[in-house]
Amino acid sequence: MSEIPAVDVRNLSVTFGTGREAVRAVRDVSFTVRAGETYGLVGESGSGKSTVLRALTGLVPEARGDMRIFGRPLTGTRDFAFYRDVQMVFQDPYASLHPRRTIDSTLTEPLLIHRIGDRRERAERVLAMLAAVGLGPEFRFRYPHQLSGGQRQRVAIARALMLEPKLLLLDEPTSALDVSIQAEVLNLLKRLKRERGLTYVLVSHNLAVVAHMCERLAVMNRGRFVEELEVEDLRRGTPKEAYTRQLLEASMGYDRERIDSFMTFE
Amino acid sequence: MTDAPLLEIEDLHVDFHGRTRVTHAVRGLSLGMGREKIGIVGESGSGKSVTGRAILGLIRPPGVVRAKRMVFDGIDLLSADGKTMRGIRGGRISMIMQDPKYSLNPVMRVGDQIAEAYVMHRRVSRREARRRALEMLEAVKIRDPERVYRAYPHELSGGMGQRVMIAMMLIPEPDLLIADEPTSALDVTVSMQVLAIMDDLVSSRGMGLMFISHDLNLVASFCDRVIIMYAGRIMEVCEASRLHEAKHPYTRGLLASLPRIDERREYLEVLRRDPAWLEEGGHV
Repeated sequence: MSEIPAVDVRNLSVTFGTGREAVRAVRDVSFTVRAGETYGLVGESGSGKSTVLRALTGLVPEARGDMRIFGRPLTGTRDFAFYRDVQMVFQDPYASLHPRRTIDSTLTEPLLIHRIGDRRERAERVLAMLAAVGLGPEFRFRYPHQLSGGQRQRVAIARALMLEPKLLLLDEPTSALDVSIQAEVLNLLKRLKRERGLTYVLVSHNLAVVAHMCERLAVMNRGRFVEELEVEDLRRGTPKEAYTRQLLEASMGYDRERIDSFMTFE
Repeated sequence: MTDAPLLEIEDLHVDFHGRTRVTHAVRGLSLGMGREKIGIVGESGSGKSVTGRAILGLIRPPGVVRAKRMVFDGIDLLSADGKTMRGIRGGRISMIMQDPKYSLNPVMRVGDQIAEAYVMHRRVSRREARRRALEMLEAVKIRDPERVYRAYPHELSGGMGQRVMIAMMLIPEPDLLIADEPTSALDVTVSMQVLAIMDDLVSSRGMGLMFISHDLNLVASFCDRVIIMYAGRIMEVCEASRLHEAKHPYTRGLLASLPRIDERREYLEVLRRDPAWLEEGGHV
């Protein structure tokens, strides 16, 4: 493990709109992700967890604060080198794959943009990547609508890995999938991480998924970090903050008595 | 738990006729339920939602519903005419859908929508309906019923919208409530609160609840009995509290594929689908 963190975020704030319309989506968030780690961002809808991820990729021009990836500061438009290192997998593979492009075209595009290889080398890389995500060569010239949800998410992961990045940003990568397919995709992500020495930042509303995948996590509510904890604290059910404890209790299943004691956290 | 069954279904089939092939969404489902909380669990495409819609007569061509028997409280749903079905639908059996955003009329005040549901099935004045709608909003734990009554759906959060849906579906005091993924668009704490409201109303009014969900753990902790569906068939039925002792390999496979907060595993178990499951069909 290297000394330079994969991700280093200091005092990140994101405000959408101005004046009375202003929405403070992220409020003064700081965290560090070590190289080789899987770091989770957990929270309910509107907590700002996806905005943090999008800010890292440069999809949020309103972001203020200091962000570094492998020691390099991020400013303004991200350059080609950034996208070689950092790629993203989105929640809904139905929406994130171009419906009129074959899988081959989708996987080749990043190589063309970055002027990598000739025609034959690109074809080899596409086939190798399909194999790596558990899809056979017969998928190469299919269209997204011919694939199931789980197969599409495999393609989305393959697309993200085409440039051999070091850091993958995963935004709810399995929440649109059935549980049995979720298990396959989570296993795939774990195996790829081990084989390729990747670093993950995983955004999810599902505590069980985060507990399974991550070493450390941050719990967000209304744009703020409520607390940062080791996954063992989550497993033992010993988070420090009341908000996290409530989230944990609600995730353990229906319990009529407990629900009356739920509070609203500002 | 049950005296005379509220709903009896025998050998239900729902087919959708496409241009080139027929999709068998439900294949020979039989069940009987009383005034209890019964959960129907399955993955997408297992036929759980189609079953709920078939009970209410909501399957339109090219869908075809066949069954040996489908009886609700002594009424034969298969031979019931349009008028009888309209009296039952929303009045004696109501259905809560997944996302309030798509189920509420966006250009009508939510209070008027709830009141309308009451007027449709009970001969009462507008004034009386309004009073009942406000009472119902209180019953689903909405703090300021007068304000919410006047609100439009877009002014409400997901949790509030789903409470409004529940109020609308319960105001005619149905005997059977079908809830199709009623909380899967909601955050987990809000979802628990909404379930508690449903739970209290169902037990205080002695309704039957058919709870359709993809979430095994939720159903196990919320319902009395659980039906597990796969590819249009019932694989297994068990007491909700004993779901973790389930015997069918499909149920066991689903349970094993779930990540758990309190357990450390490197890899999750992957479900192996046995083609033989397509040939079985359990009965409740």
